[in-house]
Amino acid sequence: MSRDEGMEVSSVFLLDNQSGSMVDAELWDAITEKNLADWEADWIPQVFDMMKALKQKGVERSLWPQSRHWHWSDKVRAVEERLSNQCFSIVCDDVTQAMMITDLTRRAQLEGQKNNHLVYIDFLETAPWNRAGLIGQPSKYSGAGSILIRAAIELSKLEGFCGRIGLHSLPQSNDFYAKAGMIDLGVDVNYQNLRYFEMTPEQADEFVIKGES
Amino acid sequence: MAKKTMTLNLTDAEMRVLEMLCEQKQMSKTLLLRQALRLYQRVEERLEAGGKLFIEDESTKEKSEIMML
Repeated sequence: MSRDEGMEVSSVFLLDNQSGSMVDAELWDAITEKNLADWEADWIPQVFDMMKALKQKGVERSLWPQSRHWHWSDKVRAVEERLSNQCFSIVCDDVTQAMMITDLTRRAQLEGQKNNHLVYIDFLETAPWNRAGLIGQPSKYSGAGSILIRAAIELSKLEGFCGRIGLHSLPQSNDFYAKAGMIDLGVDVNYQNLRYFEMTPEQADEFVIKGES
Repeated sequence: MAKKTMTLNLTDAEMRVLEMLCEQKQMSKTLLLRQALRLYQRVEERLEAGGKLFIEDESTKEKSEIMML
């Protein structure tokens, strides 16, 4: 695997849905050239194949993968010199399985923790083969999204933000974040009408305990 | 990531403000100063790109510009 020098690597596990067993994976606290190469060479072609299949099935465009316009190379370039943004990736089988960019300069909106610092998840996406349901196929690996949420919580604790995290969700991911225990603060008219979700320190602790049990 | 240690010289008044902010934010001095550096970098980035920094009153929507050095 092509790791960057100075990058922290943690051991994590993903569920291989075909075998039903847990497999070794790595959580990197960076998005490297290797990750971006995987995105370009492996993710993008599969997203295109997915869109072709959805089009053939007559599925309307609003139901196609809603993150399909995300250009990870541009997003990473935009933040690489910033102290305020921390990137993460998950690698398994020598292929990138998910990526995330966080922002440490946002404030909480939820009453009770309003204006406190939090880790805001700018972008979180799993590899197209890890997304179940869109064209009726099972996902290859499960758990990557939860590992990245956990990473955001740990970063929040490390930076003194007590586990508080927040994000705007694409409609296709609303259920995932609600099930993760985040509070839905409703549609944000100032942010592309996406729903805004936030997690309190108590909910963060519950999420971590749930993940460990 | 490897970290480096530095000595910071502050006046009594600066130290009082730092301690007050640490108390308010429930953060250590190190974490608070790291957060301040992040924010400073972001603000500078926006200002250098030609932006202006405003504070908006949530209720009145009145905006006041913050002068930056």
